[in-house]
Amino acid sequence: MKRKIAIGLAVYSVVFLLAGVYVIRTIRNATTNLDRLITLHQVEILREHFLLQIKKVQADLMLKGTPYSRSFDSVVMHVMGMGRLIDTCFGCHHSPRGMERLNGLKRQTDKYKDALSRVLTVRAETSRLAAEKDAAFRTGEELIEQVGDVIAFTTSRLGENTQKAMSEIEHTKYILYVLVALGPLLSAVLGFVFISGLTRPVKVLVESTRKLKGGDLDHRIEGLKDEFGEVAASFNEMAGSLKEQIQKMQRTEQMVVVGELAAGLAHEIKNPMAGIKVAMSVLSGEAYILPEDKAVLQKVVAEITQLEGLMKDFLNFAKPQKPRLEPVNVNQMLHTTLTFHLKHQAVGSGGSGKIEIVRKFGELPTILADPTKLQRVFLNLFLNALHAMPRGGELGVRTWLDADGKTIRVEVSDTGSGIREDLIDKVFQPFFTTKPKGTGLGLAISRQMIEQHDGAIAVANRPGGGALFTILLPVEAEGSAA
Amino acid sequence: MIGLIPEQNLFRQMERYEPMGEYLSRKTGAKIAFKVLPRYGNIIDNFKSSKLDGAFFGSFTYVLAHAKAGVEVLARPVAPDNTSTYHGMIFVRKDSGIRTAGDMRGKRFAFVDKATTAGYLLPLEYFHHHGISDYDHFLKEAYFTGTHEDAIYDVLNRKADIGAAKNTVFQRLASVDPRIRQELVVLERSPDVPENALALRKDIDVSVRNLLKESLLSMHLDPGGRKVLERFGALKFIETTNRDYNVVLKYAEDLHLDLSTYEYMNN
Repeated sequence: MKRKIAIGLAVYSVVFLLAGVYVIRTIRNATTNLDRLITLHQVEILREHFLLQIKKVQADLMLKGTPYSRSFDSVVMHVMGMGRLIDTCFGCHHSPRGMERLNGLKRQTDKYKDALSRVLTVRAETSRLAAEKDAAFRTGEELIEQVGDVIAFTTSRLGENTQKAMSEIEHTKYILYVLVALGPLLSAVLGFVFISGLTRPVKVLVESTRKLKGGDLDHRIEGLKDEFGEVAASFNEMAGSLKEQIQKMQRTEQMVVVGELAAGLAHEIKNPMAGIKVAMSVLSGEAYILPEDKAVLQKVVAEITQLEGLMKDFLNFAKPQKPRLEPVNVNQMLHTTLTFHLKHQAVGSGGSGKIEIVRKFGELPTILADPTKLQRVFLNLFLNALHAMPRGGELGVRTWLDADGKTIRVEVSDTGSGIREDLIDKVFQPFFTTKPKGTGLGLAISRQMIEQHDGAIAVANRPGGGALFTILLPVEAEGSAA
Repeated sequence: MIGLIPEQNLFRQMERYEPMGEYLSRKTGAKIAFKVLPRYGNIIDNFKSSKLDGAFFGSFTYVLAHAKAGVEVLARPVAPDNTSTYHGMIFVRKDSGIRTAGDMRGKRFAFVDKATTAGYLLPLEYFHHHGISDYDHFLKEAYFTGTHEDAIYDVLNRKADIGAAKNTVFQRLASVDPRIRQELVVLERSPDVPENALALRKDIDVSVRNLLKESLLSMHLDPGGRKVLERFGALKFIETTNRDYNVVLKYAEDLHLDLSTYEYMNN
């Protein structure tokens, strides 16, 4: 969010900076155009002034020798003024064509001044004087004509330039209007975007908190990003943890009930069953018992033995013993379990297909664990895998150490039909089973034992079919294992 | 107010002297302005009527003004070729066929002004020397251009057949117009006389006179002054006295001119 705010402010600043630069540039262009127009008009006035000055000098010339002639000093002043005006024109910038015209005007002006000087100084016969005066007048007329041409030309150019400048100024005006209108609008839009960006995630968080408070522990926040995304992730983590803790509490309550039940059963059933078993064993050993009856008695003893096992499991689950920790090589234990115990236990699994066992053991450190419990967990998982593959398949066992060196991972996979997705969350619940003769305690006890080692166990279906159990065991256990 | 004789085109003359006026005003603290006059003789009239405080005089004009109005000379410029004098010249077009005084009969003569050495005294002396006492009848037309420049151009442009003018103006024009040397030929020249010099009215305050003189004489020592001199077309100003005009006095004497009664105004 900080990044977004920073980017937003940067965008905002850049937009306004660009707009400001544009406004300044357009205003500068407009003022430049106006300056240029003013200069052009000044030049136009200068030319008109120049023309007037020439006409004034021409008038001086015409009046010379008449009763109305102006003083010599006035004439000189007029001519000098005319000369200064044309010199002023050279102080401005001109195009090569304009400079050529100006040089032409300057030459003609100098010629006119020469002729005027002659008229003013020469003393001769009347005819010569008249000729000089006429020559000067004609030169003056030519100059007037030239200046008139220049004025006509520049007037047309001035009109074009004025039109162009006014058009640009009009354009600038419209641009400024648009910017003045767009500025507040853009501010409002950007403000709305920023405020929405802040309030929407807050609203989502508040609503989610309310849902959580209302008991919807499965609600998760999605779609938030940046810092709000991090808050959402923490919220989701908290919701998950809350759900887990509640489930643990529920399990603990179940365990209390089961424990009390198991204790009662042990007391009420175990001893009578032991008596029945002994009695049946003794009875089956009597000589008068017919062989077919002996088989029945032995069947009864076997059933009682199975019931005792069930009771034992029940008691173990309800009142688990503390693990007795000792150094354990997990790979070695897996190997032993697969090689010896599994074969022994698998005899009665009922499967007819060929089971291929694939081992992929990574290098693991020795950990402190209860070997009996751990072996039972592994064996339980292996037997489950065999049961899931009645027509044969592949039992995969893989181990490795996490990159951080703190957790050992054990994966047990099969190529059976996998677990129904709607049941996958229940497989670790006590008394849940999909087997016709299952007690529903195997995986519950396995999880209990793994958790006694501060570990975790999870199940998932493999993409290619079959189930995949993953056990996580800490290299250095804490909590109950300590 | 300083008067200027129309040595060249009136307006160029003003433009030539204006920077000097500004410089001298700064140096002396007095407002010094120039006034160009249509005729050499007007200067003398203006002194008589006290309209002018001083003027840049041609050599003969000064001699006349000194005699008639008592003006006193101060200083004159030294040209870039290190000369402070000029001389008059009589010239014709090369293709005119005029080479002697006799050839001038029935021709048109462009004088400058009756109050000039180069533009009038020289041809007067020339005619005198060749026994021509009344040039009006000898020539077809005699007129006064008023400026040396116009006398030269009138001959060059065939408006006149013979002309008389200062060599300094002749050389200045020839440097920008090669036709002048190519198409004109000089038939006679006068002795060297002092270049146009600044002279002041005799009743001008001595301190002002000295300040102005000092400013002119030290112009070439000042960077600003050197720039003005460069534009003016001079290296420096040198002190000038009445003795420098002896040659002009001698010239007038040879022509039997009585300066006190000399009619300097052109017809």
